[in-house]
Amino acid sequence: MSEIKRDVEFGAGTAQETLAPEPGATQEKAITGRTPWQLARARLRRDKITMVVLAVVALAIVLAILAPILSIIGVLDPETFHPELIDGNTGGLPLDGGGGLSLQHPLGVEPGTGRDVLSRIALGMTFSMTVALSATLITVVLGTVMGLVAGLLGGKTDFFISRIIDMVLSFPVTLMLLALSGMFIDIITKAGVPAGNPSNGAYIVLVLGLFGWPTIARIIRGQVLSLREREFIEAARSLGASNRRIYFKELLPNLWAPLLVYGTLVMPAYISAEAALSFLGVGIKPPTPTLGNLLTYSVNYAAADVTFFLFPAIAIAILVLSFNLMGDGLRDALDPKADR
Amino acid sequence: MTISRRTTALAVLAVTSVLSVAACGGGGGTTGGSGNGSTGSAAAGSKGGTVFWLTKRPAEHLDPQRTYIGRDLSIENRLFYRDLVSFPVGKQGEEATKPVADLATDTGQSSEGGKVWKFTLRDGVKWQDGKDITCEDLKYGFSRGFATDVITGGPNYQLGYLDVPNKDGLPTYNGPYKKAAQADFDKAVTCEGKTITYHFNKPWADFPLAIASLRSFSPYRADQDKGDKSNYAVFSSGPYMLQGTWQKGKGGTFVRNTNYDPKTDQTGRKALPDKVVITEGLTNEIINQRLIADSGEDKFAVTDRAIPGSMYSQVDSNPTVKDRSTLVNSPFTDYLLPNFNSDVMKNPKVRQALAMATDKTAYITALGGDKAATPSKSIVNPELPGYQPNPAFTAPDSGDTAAAKKLLEEAGVPLPVKIKYTYSGGTPTSDNSAAALKQGWDKAGFSTTLDPLTDTYYDVIQNPNTKSDVYWGGWGADWPSAATVTAPLFDSVLNGVGTNPKSNGQDYGNYASDTVNKLFNQARNAATTDEANSLYQQADVQLGKDTAYIPLSVTKFYYLHGSGVTGYAQSAASNGYPDLGSIGAKQ
Repeated sequence: MSEIKRDVEFGAGTAQETLAPEPGATQEKAITGRTPWQLARARLRRDKITMVVLAVVALAIVLAILAPILSIIGVLDPETFHPELIDGNTGGLPLDGGGGLSLQHPLGVEPGTGRDVLSRIALGMTFSMTVALSATLITVVLGTVMGLVAGLLGGKTDFFISRIIDMVLSFPVTLMLLALSGMFIDIITKAGVPAGNPSNGAYIVLVLGLFGWPTIARIIRGQVLSLREREFIEAARSLGASNRRIYFKELLPNLWAPLLVYGTLVMPAYISAEAALSFLGVGIKPPTPTLGNLLTYSVNYAAADVTFFLFPAIAIAILVLSFNLMGDGLRDALDPKADR
Repeated sequence: MTISRRTTALAVLAVTSVLSVAACGGGGGTTGGSGNGSTGSAAAGSKGGTVFWLTKRPAEHLDPQRTYIGRDLSIENRLFYRDLVSFPVGKQGEEATKPVADLATDTGQSSEGGKVWKFTLRDGVKWQDGKDITCEDLKYGFSRGFATDVITGGPNYQLGYLDVPNKDGLPTYNGPYKKAAQADFDKAVTCEGKTITYHFNKPWADFPLAIASLRSFSPYRADQDKGDKSNYAVFSSGPYMLQGTWQKGKGGTFVRNTNYDPKTDQTGRKALPDKVVITEGLTNEIINQRLIADSGEDKFAVTDRAIPGSMYSQVDSNPTVKDRSTLVNSPFTDYLLPNFNSDVMKNPKVRQALAMATDKTAYITALGGDKAATPSKSIVNPELPGYQPNPAFTAPDSGDTAAAKKLLEEAGVPLPVKIKYTYSGGTPTSDNSAAALKQGWDKAGFSTTLDPLTDTYYDVIQNPNTKSDVYWGGWGADWPSAATVTAPLFDSVLNGVGTNPKSNGQDYGNYASDTVNKLFNQARNAATTDEANSLYQQADVQLGKDTAYIPLSVTKFYYLHGSGVTGYAQSAASNGYPDLGSIGAKQ
């Protein structure tokens, strides 16, 4: 019961705030207590761009989840070659002008193979986003833990963790990632991950995750440093709360906002990282489509088949831009005082 | 090996007679370039400069007795390993595969109906350190091919032909390292001064062709031999020698060998550039992009990597680039080999299903279409005498999914059938062609894992313990005869399948059949070429019945070369690859 009531109140309040920016009377009515989350949501709804971007991201996530299912039931077909749709004399350019766009193949067919571009981009998003999301989770979890511990315990622990952060940040990550891939992929395979693309993917996820956490850890550490001096923590301490309680019940709820924001900003960076690494020859290998693989292959056709070149690039651009704008929007909503 | 070998298909004909040359087009008709045959930039070459050879796949061996890749056989002959006889430089058509005297004074004298061959060394032929090339060096080089535990990867004709005692079909002589039965070898190969005599156990009319095609019979200095450690050592008898060491996967630089005397060389090797730089490990895309751009050193570059389909339009739309392109029929065919050591491939129905589900059309499409390959019905190149389509492969070019599904059901194995396909990969073209096969197989009930090898390839699949179910292969006849296709590939006795724990020779699929071995033996002893060809055809039919291989395509070479390259030629004499015997750098 109370749940329903709260919702109704909340909804009404938001609507008012959105529709009527601040005539005094309205404000007075709405002034009844709202949680920070409610405030944030209200701010979010006012931000049109972020709402659009949220819809795009939601669509991308739904598509990424559905793509493998649609491929299995045959709605999407990322594997089948269509030699009949491409021209053997020109090295496999699509026979129909404009990249072979048609009703069956709304984004055309891939030159050289005749595979359906839409299906490959959809399934490519699944693999790319899986990689990016897994790496993001590792980054966020590791960063949070390290940041929390360093900030709260202080002293030698803080010093030690901070030096680790400095060290990891100073590693030439891309170079190491390329140079050590063979060796580490072997180790991953020996550890029981199936050889081939599962191992290649795991390697990318691990490296991105293991080298990405310091930034988050620093932010969290900074937050914790300021939070731990606040009265509510002191109050908890003086009441004899355990460290565990302070971590999970007092600090963590106050860190959700920055975590969400930086998580959504890390994710697009990893999507582009996956694409860049594919181009450099590390990561999930064709014929498994990832956005990076598609882009890498399409670059060969930059001159000969412009539509095919553009679609994977546009897909990556939209995805990365949406996540970035979403992150910015969330930051504005959750943490309005943060510097840009 | 594979894509290795040569055939000269075209020329082939010529040599062996029969087929009409028109069909094959000599060294290959060029479409883009300057004209016919092998093409080249017409300008007469002058000495000096540097020629660059850009490629992807690393040479697996530079040891003459271990080399069996067509590209490397040709490069070695033109640059640093001379043989008793060689194919001439700068000839077209049948002339290109008619051996001419090189280290020897003539092309050999045979007696006893071809069982005994005699060659006499020329005066003044020297190694790179100035010492004379002797009859003993020739004999030592030949003897190395019998050490099949150390000298792996090379051809195995010597095992079947040399007149030494045999046990279980293999010579008891086991090479210069272990020296078992050395006396028998010394009797079969004899030296009198500068004259070497080979005694065979059956007539070998093609022996000079074998010498010119392969490097098995190249001389080798015993004091330079470190066994397996000599794999990348080059001790030159030709116009160039290796500067420093060869770096596997990167390449090497060859400079003039001052102890080479052009007066002793009548094969036509022009030896124009001061340096030849071979660079490995580049992708087809990068190589051909550089050749299209044609800037700096790339003006003097040639390659053995075909133009990828994605660049056809760039080549076709630009006349100055198109003039530098050549399209030549190659001696090679592509095929697949089920691994008979794999549990799932031991089931004949599974192999038949695999053949039935193979989508050759998609495979060729992925390679680049009509300019890259045409579908094949046999492992034998259609231009070879004695070619016939293999009756076992009844599937349409794009495969027959339904029939394959049915065969798999009859096979009584749980579906989907998990298989691993190992191929020489790492470029978009090769990976796409593998994906093309995978989609055909997966539709029929297989579940395919792709296993691209990006470094050396044959090395890996020659190991009988490699765990994979299907291998890619490419082969061209060693010389224009059906005897050099199926026999070297599927004779399990000579390849040491089951007897040599380290290598299956060229029988990569570890196929062994007494019926087929017997047919090969009869064919080698056949009185006439026609009889031999018909026996090889019977063997091929049996191979088809056993699905020992699955034919894919006949390969074409669509190549580019730099604008500063002179004397550019691709002919049967160089296995369809650029002929370094005539290529120079414009000064």
